[in-house]
Amino acid sequence: MLTLIKGGRVIDPTASRDAVGDVWIEDGRVVAPSDRTPDNTIDAAGCVVMAGGVEVHSHIAGGNVVLSRLLLPDLYASESAPEGHPFAHAGGSAAWIGANYARMGYTTAVEPAMPPSNALATQLELADIPLLDRGALAVMGNDDQLLELLRQREGANAVRDLVALTVATSRGLGVKCINAGGASAFKDGALKLSLDDEIPVYGLSTRKIMGALLDAVEEIGVPHPLHVHCNNLGIPGADDSFVATLEAAEGRRIHFAHAQFYAYGLSEPGNPAGGFRSAAERIAQAMEKHPNATYDVGQVAFGQTVTISLDILRQFGGRKGANPKKWILNAGDAEGGGVVPFLYKPRGPVSSLQWAIGLEMMLLSNDPERTILTTDHPNGGPFTEYPRIIHWLMDKEARDREIASLHKVIGERSGLGSIEREYTLSEIAQLTRSGPAKLLGLTDRGHLREGARADVAVYRDDRDRTAMFARAKLVLKDGEAIVEDGEVVNWRSGRTLELSVESDKAMEKRTDAYLEDRFGTGLDSFAVPDEAFAGHDVFEDVACRA
Amino acid sequence: MMAAWVKGGATDADAAIEAAAHLFASAKVPVVTGLCADVGALRAAYGLAGVIGASLDPVAAPSLYAELGVLSRTGAMGTTPAEAVGRADLVVVVGNAPWDRPFLQDIAAAKPRRGRAAGSERTILSLGGPSNGQIRHVAYPVEPGGLAVSIAQLRAFAKGHLAGETAYADLARRLVAAHYGVVVYEPGEVGELGVEMLQGLVKDLNDVTRFFALPLADPFQGRALIQVAAWTTGQAPSTGFGRHVPEHDPWRFDGARQVREGEADAALWLSSLPSPRPDWLASLPSVAIVGEGSANATGDTAEIVIAVGVPGESTGGTLWNERRGTLTHSSAAGQPAALTAGAVLDAIRARITAKDSAAC
Repeated sequence: MLTLIKGGRVIDPTASRDAVGDVWIEDGRVVAPSDRTPDNTIDAAGCVVMAGGVEVHSHIAGGNVVLSRLLLPDLYASESAPEGHPFAHAGGSAAWIGANYARMGYTTAVEPAMPPSNALATQLELADIPLLDRGALAVMGNDDQLLELLRQREGANAVRDLVALTVATSRGLGVKCINAGGASAFKDGALKLSLDDEIPVYGLSTRKIMGALLDAVEEIGVPHPLHVHCNNLGIPGADDSFVATLEAAEGRRIHFAHAQFYAYGLSEPGNPAGGFRSAAERIAQAMEKHPNATYDVGQVAFGQTVTISLDILRQFGGRKGANPKKWILNAGDAEGGGVVPFLYKPRGPVSSLQWAIGLEMMLLSNDPERTILTTDHPNGGPFTEYPRIIHWLMDKEARDREIASLHKVIGERSGLGSIEREYTLSEIAQLTRSGPAKLLGLTDRGHLREGARADVAVYRDDRDRTAMFARAKLVLKDGEAIVEDGEVVNWRSGRTLELSVESDKAMEKRTDAYLEDRFGTGLDSFAVPDEAFAGHDVFEDVACRA
Repeated sequence: MMAAWVKGGATDADAAIEAAAHLFASAKVPVVTGLCADVGALRAAYGLAGVIGASLDPVAAPSLYAELGVLSRTGAMGTTPAEAVGRADLVVVVGNAPWDRPFLQDIAAAKPRRGRAAGSERTILSLGGPSNGQIRHVAYPVEPGGLAVSIAQLRAFAKGHLAGETAYADLARRLVAAHYGVVVYEPGEVGELGVEMLQGLVKDLNDVTRFFALPLADPFQGRALIQVAAWTTGQAPSTGFGRHVPEHDPWRFDGARQVREGEADAALWLSSLPSPRPDWLASLPSVAIVGEGSANATGDTAEIVIAVGVPGESTGGTLWNERRGTLTHSSAAGQPAALTAGAVLDAIRARITAKDSAAC
């Protein structure tokens, strides 16, 4: 079927396109303008047309997400929910996640923290998220097999083969390391870890582990660079960890997760107890010097949330700030996970400053394609806050109104108030479409050029950007309408994107023996077989880099 | 061809599915109970419950809710079986139930091999357990008030709120001295209050060392159900769809209570893996989906009975793997059975949906 989206303001920064025009679609793809009469014409006059949004870092599936629901079952309770799906009313459920992303015009979302030991459960849960294409990053950096291999100095090829096998077995889209060595150190009594601190028992450091993973990811040709959660998240002086990690990458491609939580410079030099001030400017300068790096923001939104992280060392440290006062921490087979509820107080000094720092980082960025919009859902707040965040980025007046309602610390310890910049629609598309798609190596989305997957969001052009981006007028997934006037109209399933990577037979055999010895069961019990998905064709291959 | 019965008479699966669809299409307050099955069947059970407005009442509820209530009130601190086996230099076994589990043999037979306790001896302690001599351990008797009170006493000693040269003072000193301690228990036996005390004890101990809880899983796939329930409804398993919005309430959606008080008017018992049959099943119109070859695969188990493949044996299935502490998939051993529980539930749902559409 030939579809014409006619007369909308088409925004595609990858083609320098920002003008009223048409988008043609056939067989689920964007096609060249046609002389044929379209079978279906969508009137987009007065609307903005963008590619579907792409999410790179949102905790939407896995054992810790399950635990967060059990710890805080009332968090997402909602009386207003999409119709037509039996479970979309269920706040925080897989159907709720798919529906709420789709309503905002998002069509792809990635879970950034899949423990390989829990891959099947994570992938089953992801597969139950409707409407979107999904993917997951396999987490490495605290597992005994890798650390032992590094301790024995087995060489880069062995690390590469283990990483490739892990991605292939868990059917991941990429690789993430979370406070590399931190969980292991925590289990052995440590409460703090920096880049070059020795990890007990193994004699390694975060630098060594991360460096080995950076090399392995390049060697394999994983399109998405190593996704790095640094040491010392959220503490005053964490900007030092961020910059040191950036330099430790030594020019290799690297992606930083939720960078806002590291943009905390010491307010008083040498005194962490004196609190923090914005280090957004320092981070922006460091990013300019390192074009090999990208980050997602991890913007804070006010209100109750629950933090979910495999950084158990950090989550154990954060337990005393739990609000309400309850928390879960699991020392897992590698990382495990910590689930700590948190309330970002609307007028509290700390929350206000965190909120300001995230916006300041985005507004100081000279390259929005390397600056991805996330809230690190649900850690900084729910992803449903994106429209409001976009509004603040695009509207200085709205931003100033919000600042005026918050704690005065924003003026004292951040530069947000003096920033005049307002994001353009093209820059928003870079932040939410082309940037994340490029980052994930998904060349078929994030843009509207010929050949692109027909994932398209049409918004009514409204000065109230919150209203505009909260409820898309129309969302197409693979050319099919899934949302109309902000409501889901077609509960179709997307695909789970997996990296097409071959594993080394010798490493398979060796790992099977290792797992058998440690778990009493071999590699098979870590597999994610098609058979587990009740005959549904769930997965779609993504090629490695040439 | 799998065996099926309607009102005691042998029939084929298709006729039984049609009869089940007819029963549930007209039921006002149906209950789905048991839920001892693989993930595919559990997903299908939620799908059916959503359509017919049923409540879900797992056979694993007593064990699950001994933990879930505590989890939502205070949280938890735990580890995995493999981490316990690999790292623990001290294992405290609470109660009697864990001693019958193969896991206890595994952990008693090994020494810590990873982490700072690697190479040291592993000490097994028992609180309120048997003294059968099969596994070498140091036994501490339970207090007259029972396990929960004993754990509370122990916690008080560990925290320094009680002092004196008692057996529990000695036990508390051992806990504090561990490098990586693990407390093993079966939540249903310890009870909600005991679990809350244990979790409090574990959290207290982590102010000075590393100590983790390792609750043993129920034998009825309750842990698998928790995963499916949470990602499907955002809630724990005992949920009702009577208002077509999932509502969680373990008291309200207790199947036995609903039947006893005359609320329920139909029931589905899902037990493709072995689990005890509810003693109230025969008291209302019911459908049983049971594993082929099981003692319940007979015409008198329920009004409608459908025998299906047994996941992990005669059919593939994703199940809770206690040794791994996660979901794993097992293929069928040999030629797979013709019918799975998930397929039967999906077929019942499809028939009901088709009837509803026709009625429009």
